[in-house]
Amino acid sequence: MKKVDIIAALLLLPVCGYVFYEASSWPMLPDLGNPGWIPRGVAACLLVAALIMLARALRGRALTLPSRLEGADRDRVLWVAALTGGYMVVMNYLGFIASTIPYLAGFGSALGERRWGRLAFFSVVVPVAIYLLFDAALNVPLPRGWLR
Amino acid sequence: MFLSRAAGYASGATRVELMVDLNLLLHGFGTVLFGYNLIALVLGSFFGIIIGAIPGLTATMGIALLVPFTFGMTPITGIVMLLGIYTGAIYGGGIASILIKTPGTPAAAATVFDGYPMAQKGLAGKAIGIATVSSGVGGMFTAICLAFFAPILARFALRFSAPEYFALACFGLSVTITLSGRSPVKGFISGTLGLLISMVGLDPMGGFQRFTFGFAQLTGGLSFVPMLIGLFALSEGFRQVEVILTAPRVNAVLKDIVPKLKDLKACAGAYLRACPIGLIVGITPAIGADTSAFLSYAETKRASKHPEKFGTGVPEGVAAAQCGENASTGGDVLPMITLGIPGDAATAVLMGALTIHNLQPGPMLFLNHPQVVHQIFAGMIAANAVFVILGLSFARFFAQVINIERKYLVPLIFICCLVGSYAINNVMYDLVTCAIFGFIGYLMLRYDYPVAPMVLAQILGSMMESNFRRSLVMSRGDPTIFLTRPITVVILALAAFTTIMAIRRQRQALKMEEELARQTAEVR
Repeated sequence: MKKVDIIAALLLLPVCGYVFYEASSWPMLPDLGNPGWIPRGVAACLLVAALIMLARALRGRALTLPSRLEGADRDRVLWVAALTGGYMVVMNYLGFIASTIPYLAGFGSALGERRWGRLAFFSVVVPVAIYLLFDAALNVPLPRGWLR
Repeated sequence: MFLSRAAGYASGATRVELMVDLNLLLHGFGTVLFGYNLIALVLGSFFGIIIGAIPGLTATMGIALLVPFTFGMTPITGIVMLLGIYTGAIYGGGIASILIKTPGTPAAAATVFDGYPMAQKGLAGKAIGIATVSSGVGGMFTAICLAFFAPILARFALRFSAPEYFALACFGLSVTITLSGRSPVKGFISGTLGLLISMVGLDPMGGFQRFTFGFAQLTGGLSFVPMLIGLFALSEGFRQVEVILTAPRVNAVLKDIVPKLKDLKACAGAYLRACPIGLIVGITPAIGADTSAFLSYAETKRASKHPEKFGTGVPEGVAAAQCGENASTGGDVLPMITLGIPGDAATAVLMGALTIHNLQPGPMLFLNHPQVVHQIFAGMIAANAVFVILGLSFARFFAQVINIERKYLVPLIFICCLVGSYAINNVMYDLVTCAIFGFIGYLMLRYDYPVAPMVLAQILGSMMESNFRRSLVMSRGDPTIFLTRPITVVILALAAFTTIMAIRRQRQALKMEEELARQTAEVR
């Protein structure tokens, strides 16, 4: 997985640059030590590690074991990630129960569940049970949305 | 009344008595084993065994998932519940190892060697019974050691000031980063990123904003618990989405679960070796139950009169692995509770939970909340007894749990993670933090970056930075303060030594791997 190591190292280089840049803009505090010492030291360590990884990858000695994510597996992970992102957006507006029911149904079908009655039962019972557990038993309110 | 005393110094000249009082410990048992606390302990233990028994779910994940459920509880109720999960999950991993040759948790890998062959011989029930009692023996031993050693270490730690804490943080970081994962470079990257994340927010001395990108929510730093839930629980959820869609089927018939006395007597030698190994391994930062189990197994095999029988289904093998595994739990908790340095990822999450309940681990906890400390000790001891009772009583149920359908389990994990993160402060920001770090954690797991150094570095990073700066204030900017205090010098030297040794060890391992690959290629 040469490519993965190279990409990771190249992503880390600007992070190190940004830390150096931001640390140089911090005010010097008399008698409190230079506030930039530790962040710069850490960024320097990160830079060295990233360069080692880059050098090894370019010499064909990648650190990452080869394992490709492809086809159906990749699609499933991306679909679940997108579904979760969408769920977070709508939860605040629709409320916990109304948004969780379609989320769980979509999630279950993404994982290949085709017994729809069972999935529907699960998708309805779980949000209601969790809502009651948090709201009534643990006194931790969840977004109510339309129920408000 | 038996009384052992630990005296310490706090805030300069004030002498403070730290009492390890059996009365207080008994009072702790009275609190823990009563009413809601007992219910929480049993529920936590039950849930922990379930989490442990399901391959792919870890003790750390179990604690991270359940932390939000403790918000509405009193601190001690919540903490005993989490201790129940912790100890229960470490034990529960052995059930899957025995029944389906797949460790429920990474720590239970050594149990496979003799546990599965026993199951194949039709002795699955006996293997589970021995595993249960052995885990209990190891866990109980280490929990008692924790109760007696922790106050002594806390007394010693009260002498520490900023330079010693800085050195201690450096030591913790060096061990954590270098011993985690397959590659020290990747562990190092993970750790340094954790250190940078710990710097987000206000400067500890100057109070100005750092790395906040103008977001007001980041002024207080990134929310720690949602990040923990994301990195340890949601990331595993993503991985389950990718890899496991079908649960293995358990068809073994379990009988003779409660072990006979003569079987346990035969395992006494294994216990005598595994208990101290587990304790010492547990205390060492970054290595925990898995290393302890393997070392205990190897040592028991080495000392056995019939080492050739190991791996064919001998009860001593199961006993050594399970006992060593749970014997590390108290050792892991020891540096966390006395010094504020978590021994592994699971105790890092436990530490986060304690902080949420306004209990800051470290020597001052022993001074300010001695009752709570003793209740934690009592909880730890009781948790080990509870999972033995549950394990022996509900072994058939826990075996069936392995059959649970992933199509329903994985969405449930996601919902618990997201709802739990939201419930901390009732803000969407925490939920987003959990989701982002969940995906980052998944990518890290996928591409071999250990997650634990990132989390441990966040805890140790703020400790390191603030104590570094305080030390310089103490010495008026003179950095030689770190070289003139004996304890600091010793700890820093240990940190350097550990780092060098770990790098050498890893280089040797990589060379061996390359040599092996070359030889394999030549043979082909």
